[in-house]
Amino acid sequence: MTMVTQQASSNYYNLGILDSITDDSIEDILDSWTGFCNTTESLLKDKGDLSVGSEFISHVHILCENRLSSLVQDHFFKALEETFEKNGRSKFWHHFDDFRDVSISELNESHKDWVQQVLCKALEDICLEKQYQEKCLLILVHALQSYKEGISKGKYNSDAERVALFSRYRLMVSSVLMTTLPRHFPEILRFYFKERLEELSDMISGNSDDNDEFQAKDNMDIDERTKLSPEVSEMDIGETYNGRKISENNKLVKNIGKVVRDLRSLGFMSMAEDAYASAIFLLLKTKVNDLAGDDYRTSVLWSIKEWIWAVPLQFLYALLAYLGDSVSYDSPSSGLKSPLASHPTSYYPGIDIPSEGLVRWQLRLEYFAYETLQDLRIAKLFEIIVDYPDSSPAIDDLKKCLQYSGQHSKLVDSFISSLRYRLLTAGASTNDILHQYVSTIKALRIIDPTGVFLEAVGEPIRDYLKGRKDTMKCIVTMLTDGPGGNPNGPGNTGDSLLEELNRDEENQEDDVCDDDFNSDDRHAWMNAERWEPDPVEADPLKGSRNRRKFDILGMIVGVIGSKEQLVNEYRVMLAEKLLNKSDYDIDSEIRTLELLKIHFGESSMQKCEIMLNDLINSKRINTNIKASISDVSQKGSDLGETGVSLDLLDATIISSNFWPPVQDESINIPETVDQLLSDYAKRFYEIKTPRKLLWKKNLGTVKLELQFGDRAAQFTVTPVHAAIIMNFQDQTRWISKDLAAAIGVPVDVLNRRINFWISKGIIAESVGAESDNHMFDLVDAMVDSSRNGVNNASCEDLAADEEGETSVASLEEQLLQEMTVYEKYIMGMLTNFGSMSLDRIHNTLKMFCSADPVYDKSLQQLQSFLSGLLSEEKLELRDGMYYLKREYSYLSLRSYHCPHLKFNKVVQSTYLIGNIDETSGYGNDSFVLTHYLCLMP
Amino acid sequence: MHHFVFIYLSPYCRWHAVASWTWDAQDETCGICRMAFDGCCPECKLPGDDCPLIWGACNHAFHLHCILKWVNSQTPQAHCPMCRREWQYKG
Ligand SMILES: [Zn+2]
Ligand SMILES: [Zn+2]
Ligand SMILES: [Zn+2]
Repeated sequence: MTMVTQQASSNYYNLGILDSITDDSIEDILDSWTGFCNTTESLLKDKGDLSVGSEFISHVHILCENRLSSLVQDHFFKALEETFEKNGRSKFWHHFDDFRDVSISELNESHKDWVQQVLCKALEDICLEKQYQEKCLLILVHALQSYKEGISKGKYNSDAERVALFSRYRLMVSSVLMTTLPRHFPEILRFYFKERLEELSDMISGNSDDNDEFQAKDNMDIDERTKLSPEVSEMDIGETYNGRKISENNKLVKNIGKVVRDLRSLGFMSMAEDAYASAIFLLLKTKVNDLAGDDYRTSVLWSIKEWIWAVPLQFLYALLAYLGDSVSYDSPSSGLKSPLASHPTSYYPGIDIPSEGLVRWQLRLEYFAYETLQDLRIAKLFEIIVDYPDSSPAIDDLKKCLQYSGQHSKLVDSFISSLRYRLLTAGASTNDILHQYVSTIKALRIIDPTGVFLEAVGEPIRDYLKGRKDTMKCIVTMLTDGPGGNPNGPGNTGDSLLEELNRDEENQEDDVCDDDFNSDDRHAWMNAERWEPDPVEADPLKGSRNRRKFDILGMIVGVIGSKEQLVNEYRVMLAEKLLNKSDYDIDSEIRTLELLKIHFGESSMQKCEIMLNDLINSKRINTNIKASISDVSQKGSDLGETGVSLDLLDATIISSNFWPPVQDESINIPETVDQLLSDYAKRFYEIKTPRKLLWKKNLGTVKLELQFGDRAAQFTVTPVHAAIIMNFQDQTRWISKDLAAAIGVPVDVLNRRINFWISKGIIAESVGAESDNHMFDLVDAMVDSSRNGVNNASCEDLAADEEGETSVASLEEQLLQEMTVYEKYIMGMLTNFGSMSLDRIHNTLKMFCSADPVYDKSLQQLQSFLSGLLSEEKLELRDGMYYLKREYSYLSLRSYHCPHLKFNKVVQSTYLIGNIDETSGYGNDSFVLTHYLCLMP
Repeated sequence: MHHFVFIYLSPYCRWHAVASWTWDAQDETCGICRMAFDGCCPECKLPGDDCPLIWGACNHAFHLHCILKWVNSQTPQAHCPMCRREWQYKG
């Protein structure tokens, strides 16, 4: 049937031929056709019988003579296809039927051998079949060629026919397979390659003892020839991977290579490549994850690159060599340069001048590795920065990754969100936030020297910090507190930030790579990286280093607002510290001042310098005064009626114009001490005429010793505390009112201060008949001392610190005082406008308070004042707008004297609110308030 | 009796007091430079001994540096900037 149809159709297409053929030749043609069809059948179908070859060829010749060669080819291919469908395709897919029921995600280690066996068997079978068919096709080619040679009577050289037929065959094979491809087949391939590569990777990492699989690399003479960059440390790789490389003769590579080759020959070339590529990337990803881990103290980039070289690239090199389509040693490296390589021709030791394909692979793998590592590190950037500077290797890695991928914005977004989530929360202490801020600055300066991304990341931290009241204090403490003037080598962890900034600068001066740890590696690595201009190195001007340093400080000052505010805060803290000193020891303060002068300029620090100078002068004058006494006492003069020597007294004498306002409350100190102060002042006047002393009796420190029988306890306290306890010497029971009067302080102050002695178990409190009149008794310390630890003779407490009492008015207190005058204005504005932004309040105050009182505060000062009002619950802040707290508005109006009467833009308005305006003359019963509002134009 | 004594003479005991110094002058500011006496004249950085006061026979006080400049600029005879009397340093 087939034959008839074929003939019919061919007759139909070859009508012209029909005229020229005779009946005889028709007979011949029909015979030959039948013979051709039969021999084709015998060749291809069933077991295949090559012995019919010569008969087949002669039939083909006859048919060709009758110009039926295309019919011959069509029929032959049809037969090939039918046979391939039956013997090849259906059997082939049948192998994989078992996997239909196994979801790919369920494939695991245990399926490894199964998949491998099935795949190899299937490929083997189908390739055998295919080889046989190709043999048959070759017979046809031979028949067609020998016919043409016959008629051209000479050599028929053209290979074109063979090439065309074979490509037609390949097309047929792959289209048959592709159109019937089961969906799970690519997955099976991927799984296969993944497992094989893992095996290979294990083997190379030395998990296998199968050393014979490797050739020692010194067998490779090419190696010697192309060792172009000895500084790329082959030694390191040698140490890790035992100097072995994978040859194309490696058993495993051969196995994989065979599978790839078979797949290629079936037309699955790109599918095979996709499969081993995705297996390689998967493996690489796992490897990067393993290597990166949560240890930020070592650089992993180099190990990753080592691994890429040692496993996937070696594998690909061997695979390509096995497949025979790689290595072109002669071709120049064709301008393809890895951006990571130090020299264009040297990629990795051991792999010589690579083929373009291999270079492309290397770039792809490295890019993928960089991106994977980058994403891992970005996800953990918060932790990494917490660990800074221990984590600087991880920061360096991330920097290199980002330079390669250019995905800095990924970092910014991710980091800002982790900041908001983890750091900028009520639970975090201001100090923690500040330290993280500083570490962030340091770390991001490394990653992004332009500072653009740092700016983006720093902003939310700065904004958040600005809303905290203790920010300024914490910043100053962080900058200046530390042992200072005590350079005990590097790694001095207690250092102030200023000290550290200074040291960093000095270190940068003699800019040497001084981490002797692994320095060879580092050098090799840095050499390898030198293709890329280091932005810091590129600018040899010293100025760039200074800019670096000032940027860190600048960003910290930026939180505060201005350097003046920082200096002011420092001055307040310095004053507090100095006034509590009892030994004139200011070495560390002098050191800090020197550092501050370097950073903020000498003139900004002028007042602080005078303060320190006062301490130095005080010490000198103190010594002089003491010397003048000993002169007197040697002359036989008495110690005075009290029997107390002036030796007991030291003094700090301040130039008050240059100090921040000190808390000046008068107190009555014990007569004996008061007498000493007078003597001291008298002697000062004698020495320093016409200068005289004004005592600030509430300030200073008192070291005293209490003796209970044969035990003594020592304390360091403020003069008030000393005055309290000394009053108990002559009178052991006091009523609070009387004691307060004796000391000259308000009762509530006394009650607060005396707590110190109560807490020490020295004084006992009992509530008297009147509840506000407490009774205080000196405790018989012999009874209670052990319980309260008074007998600890070295016990020393600075009571001032304990109770948060300070000698110096803090900046907030100063500001509060200065700002209070504006409070009414602000309340009035908010009453009228409902809500206002910080800026608008600021501008309105500026506009209206141009005289008496002049509004001359900065935006930051206003904000800090408003945050005070927020915490007093007078105001509330929503979405950046300030509102009056509801229950407060009445009160605020009550005390609101409209200050704007003196201005033109005044609108009179009447409010039915309540009895509010004391000045309006309406009296207490009036419900009408004539209220003047100032409205903005 | 109570076994409690405040030992003034114990070597541990010290009273470290705080005072400010001031010039023993009637005015608070220098009539020449208008700066506080307890500060210093515009030429000086450190107050006190480094920038002392000087009194004239008329009992007006000035920063030493200020009156010296003034006297040098007023030849041949200088007068007190405050009271216009002939300037004489107080003996
Ligand atoms: Zn003056
Ligand atoms: Zn002066
Ligand atoms: Zn005068």
